[in-house]
Amino acid sequence: MRNQDQTTKRKRLAALGLAAAMLLGLSACEKQRDSDVNLLPKEDKEKPAVNLFSPMEKTEPDTENAARNAADTTIIMAEEKLGVSVAYKTYTAENYKDKTYDDVALERARSNLDDIYLLNPDTIAILSEEGKLADLSGLECAQNLRDVVKAANLVDGKLVAVPQEVVAYGLFVNKDLFDRYKLKLPETPEEFLECCRVFKENGIETPVGANRWWLETFVLAQAYADLYNGGNTEAEIEALNRGEAKYSDYMRPGFEFLQELMDEGYIDAEKALVSEAIEGERQDFLDQKTPIVIAYWGAANTESAYGNPGFHMQAVGFPSSRGQMPVMSITGFAVGVDAEHKENALAVLDEILSDEALQAYAEINRVISPSKNVSVECVPALKPLNDRIEENIFVLGANAGMKLEQWGNTCQVVRRLLGGATVDECMAEFDRLQEETLKQ
Amino acid sequence: MEKKLGKQRKNKGVPLLILIIAFFCILGVVVLLASHQISREMSDSAVQNLSESLDLIQCTIEAILRKEAEFQKLIAKETALAADPEAYIRSYEKNDTMVKLSLILSGEESGVSNNGEAFTAEGLDFSVERTVDGLPISQSYVNYMGAWAYSMKCPVVRGGETIGDLYVEYTYDSLDRSLPDGFYNKQAALYIMDAKTQRFVLKPKGMGKRSAGHLNLEDFYRANSIEDQELRGEVEIALSNGQNILFYHDIRNVKALNYMWAVNDGAAFLVGYVPLDAIQQEGRTVNKNIFIVVFVMLTAFLLCCLLYYFNQKQQNKIRREREEEREIHNKQLSEALQAARVANNSKTTFLSNMSHDIRTPMNAVLGFANLLAKEAENPAKVKEYTKKITASGQHLLSLINDILDVSKIESGKVVLNFEPFTLNDLVSSVDAIIQPMAKAKKQNFHVSVTGVRHEELIGDETRMNQILINLLSNAVKYTQEGGDIWFRIIGLKPRSSQYEHIRIEVEDNGYGMTPEYLETIFDAFTRAENSTTNKVQGTGLGMAITKNIVELMGGAIEVTSQVDKGSLFRVELECRVAEGQQDRQFWLQNGIERLLAVAGEQTRQSVQELMENAGFPADAAADADQGLAMMKNQPYQLVLLDWDLPGADAFQAALKAALPGNGLLVLLVSDEGEDAQARLPEGAAALTKPFFASSLKEKVAELRQGPDGGKNREEEADSLEGLRFLAAEDNEINAEILAEVLELEGASCEIMSNGKLALERFCQAPPGSFDAILMDVQMPVMNGYDAVRAIRALPRPDAAQIPIIAMTANAFAEDERAALEAGMNAHVAKPLDVDLLKKVIREYTGGLD
Repeated sequence: MRNQDQTTKRKRLAALGLAAAMLLGLSACEKQRDSDVNLLPKEDKEKPAVNLFSPMEKTEPDTENAARNAADTTIIMAEEKLGVSVAYKTYTAENYKDKTYDDVALERARSNLDDIYLLNPDTIAILSEEGKLADLSGLECAQNLRDVVKAANLVDGKLVAVPQEVVAYGLFVNKDLFDRYKLKLPETPEEFLECCRVFKENGIETPVGANRWWLETFVLAQAYADLYNGGNTEAEIEALNRGEAKYSDYMRPGFEFLQELMDEGYIDAEKALVSEAIEGERQDFLDQKTPIVIAYWGAANTESAYGNPGFHMQAVGFPSSRGQMPVMSITGFAVGVDAEHKENALAVLDEILSDEALQAYAEINRVISPSKNVSVECVPALKPLNDRIEENIFVLGANAGMKLEQWGNTCQVVRRLLGGATVDECMAEFDRLQEETLKQ
Repeated sequence: MEKKLGKQRKNKGVPLLILIIAFFCILGVVVLLASHQISREMSDSAVQNLSESLDLIQCTIEAILRKEAEFQKLIAKETALAADPEAYIRSYEKNDTMVKLSLILSGEESGVSNNGEAFTAEGLDFSVERTVDGLPISQSYVNYMGAWAYSMKCPVVRGGETIGDLYVEYTYDSLDRSLPDGFYNKQAALYIMDAKTQRFVLKPKGMGKRSAGHLNLEDFYRANSIEDQELRGEVEIALSNGQNILFYHDIRNVKALNYMWAVNDGAAFLVGYVPLDAIQQEGRTVNKNIFIVVFVMLTAFLLCCLLYYFNQKQQNKIRREREEEREIHNKQLSEALQAARVANNSKTTFLSNMSHDIRTPMNAVLGFANLLAKEAENPAKVKEYTKKITASGQHLLSLINDILDVSKIESGKVVLNFEPFTLNDLVSSVDAIIQPMAKAKKQNFHVSVTGVRHEELIGDETRMNQILINLLSNAVKYTQEGGDIWFRIIGLKPRSSQYEHIRIEVEDNGYGMTPEYLETIFDAFTRAENSTTNKVQGTGLGMAITKNIVELMGGAIEVTSQVDKGSLFRVELECRVAEGQQDRQFWLQNGIERLLAVAGEQTRQSVQELMENAGFPADAAADADQGLAMMKNQPYQLVLLDWDLPGADAFQAALKAALPGNGLLVLLVSDEGEDAQARLPEGAAALTKPFFASSLKEKVAELRQGPDGGKNREEEADSLEGLRFLAAEDNEINAEILAEVLELEGASCEIMSNGKLALERFCQAPPGSFDAILMDVQMPVMNGYDAVRAIRALPRPDAAQIPIIAMTANAFAEDERAALEAGMNAHVAKPLDVDLLKKVIREYTGGLD
């Protein structure tokens, strides 16, 4: 009797199994269509597009680019939330002979080719001066910005750009090599030169790796260490804006310092002049041929930069009379004042700069967030740099409050120095620029 | 056989399994081949499709370029016609396609642009020497707007003379608007590459996670790890020749089909890749569906196989069970048949034996009766012949009794009659029967009882008696003259306090048995056959009856024997101990307060145990001195003296003297020959071993009452003098015998031929006419039971009281019970035992009174 029950049960199970298998088979062969008449599947409605112009890092196979992933994450958040499609437009100079990204960005912004632009401080200054950038102070995200970020991007009371991260520049050093030669990390320019001397004596050909973009950070750190940390910032800037003080006086020590680096062979000026950021010096630094390079905060998190070196790396401030000095340069997103999709562009910006998006961005990229409501722990290598910033000791690489644009101009003048101009000639150039600015 | 079948089944299963596996292998190969074929065809089709798509894009771009060139020529013509060509150019507003128009008049280095700025052709590189619709097209460059652009140069001809060149700048972004948003479900990537610089001048609108962006071909190679120099060389050749090329290479670890598609004779190339997944989507879907269908079929087939397997297993199980059942039945049938044959043979043998056994005494009866008739005048001969006829008759009767017993046991009709009995009675009765038989053969019969704690037990005394008589009579029969026979009752360790566990041993040093015979000794209708034993009369049923009764009592019997050395039968039984009424009162009434046993160790122990269990503990002494010492300290009214103690006859007088006036000395004697009896002091009270409390009790009663009283009464009661009987007996001979017997005893008898006549006679006779009725059972007209019931129902005062004794050949216990139930007082089996009849009549008539 029991056997009979079991057999019946087994048969039922088998029948069920067969039925399920048949259903599976049938469903596998069928695909749903939207309509019986129109054979085409329904297409998604065309989403409104927003063009975003940004630089493009060269792709490395099989490497993670945290900065790009972080930016992409916030863009996707905005797309999903707003139902828009953000189209990237990119440009990257192939070599130094090409137009720079800044040049192209300026031209595109002036021609209203795109809606949102990721701009360097000098470009921001120029375009805002030309009235090409929309005022972002009405955006909701603007309310959360740190004061220093707001101050750096405020032109005539208009907030012209907002960054996704506060970019702090510093010296990335190979601590192992410093330890090997029993050198302490330099605080002042003199100590820095001494370190370079020791490295050079120990067979390190070029102690400082440089490119044509970032050498001005040495100059800016020495020039404005006192201005930004001496307690008299506004008055000093005011004096400069009025022409009562001269930029060249501030800049001279830094240029002389660079000159000495060049003269002593601590920097390969020729190579630097034709090298793109990171590309020129990265390999030597990773191969431990160069113990010191200049880089921005995010480079410590990015494998395509200095994400995972095979040695003990630390990021410290530039040498100055006030010790190690981080240089804060704030790139930012701006919207063309006559952009074709301005409204959508502003909405996208508000979204990718919201606290939620910035939190996601900061978590992926481990950066200092421009929002005062967002903070994440930095990677250990950045700790010395971060400590100085936490102490509020830094100089601004660009300040919209200074009439003479700093970041771009200093870069250009430093290139002249690299190209063979004397320090005096460079100072004269600053005086000329200041004069021109004052005339305007 | 079964193993062979199983092996055959297994042998059948293996090829079937191989066949199934082979079938599925072939099916798998076919499916795989079909799937590969489909993949290949779909792949070819996808390559074809991709080529067509790229052709379409190429044609679109070339068409745009041609239209641009044609329009530029038109503007050039218009410019030529204008009075002030430069003014005409300046008046032209830029649009999305033509972002800049410039004119350099012949002979001049610079010209004007439509945006009002001065224009030189310095930045434009026409060295690629490619044309669109005859117009030279420049190498790509980033224009003043920061967009990738190209320019075409068109001569401005007025009156057959070239007055200048019209340069129009176009951006790639304007081309982008005419290209598909994405193809292969937006999984394909499409770049436009400037052939000379190998820079990507139009990129997909995405980067990062969504799509990688590349600067130029080298960047494309590096980012996608295209390092194969041979491949790169082939690509270079294709690029320099303006040929299309398609090749497989992984893009970010995904298999992809890469393409370089020449546009405008190789001035530019469409560059990109399509993941194979996207190309072969349909093929994979078809394959997936094929696999699903195959999987479903396979599953269904396996399920069917499983069902079939389980079903077969079930069927096999049922079949096996049935076969087993059938085999059991067959075996039982064959056993039954065998048993029937054996039984039949046995019964044939038995009948043959019986025929012989019955004929032998019958021959004696008839022969001696014949001789008796001839020698009627010779009283000595008459006495001798009568004695022999009686002996033969007795043997015949025992033969019939045994046959009936076996028949009853085999048909399971034997019912044990459990009643209290004493071992004393049992041993005494057996002793009384066997002792004379042994003496007749000059054999020594030894009886011993040891270790028994209770002598009053519950059991079927008659059947136990039967067991013992069977065993002992056999021992006597099969032991030569002068041999020894031992009868022992041994108390074993009881398993429960409520049971007496006893072993009965019957041993002899007689003929013994062969091992072959021992195997069949307990089977019915067998008998030791040899020249010696053939002299012995017997039915051969005794041992079978014995064994059956022992087993019926829950006991066991075993035998060991050796030829010419003797045999030993062992019976083990457990009998419930009777809750005996402790008769301390009896002893006190007879003036006995304390009892002393002076005996050897074994006897002493036996006495103490049995007396304690009888409720009257006894003291014991090992010898006379100890006994006398004890008698000084305590007054003993009864002393038991073991006559086998050395010097017992010497100190029995001292013991007797030490007893108080009414004290009793009882000697415990072994019943071994007359010598021992002769040694007894005159007038001594003797008790034969083995010792039993009950026998001591009887002896004490006898000593106190005097020995003769009871005996006289018994003898008197044996007489039937003057009694009147009414008898119902249909058999004339039996009736005559009865009448003669009663007449010889001085009684009168009226015999009726059936129950009805007897009833009528009783009715007619006045009350008190008869002292008892002797009633046969099986009679014509009215049987005995009905007649008795009718008599008892009669409305007359003596109807209920008159003793009615059944006198019938129906000799079983149930016949006796039926008789009693019908209202009879007693049951006497035929053939008539006159003594028994007299005893029963005496009991119920109380004739003596």
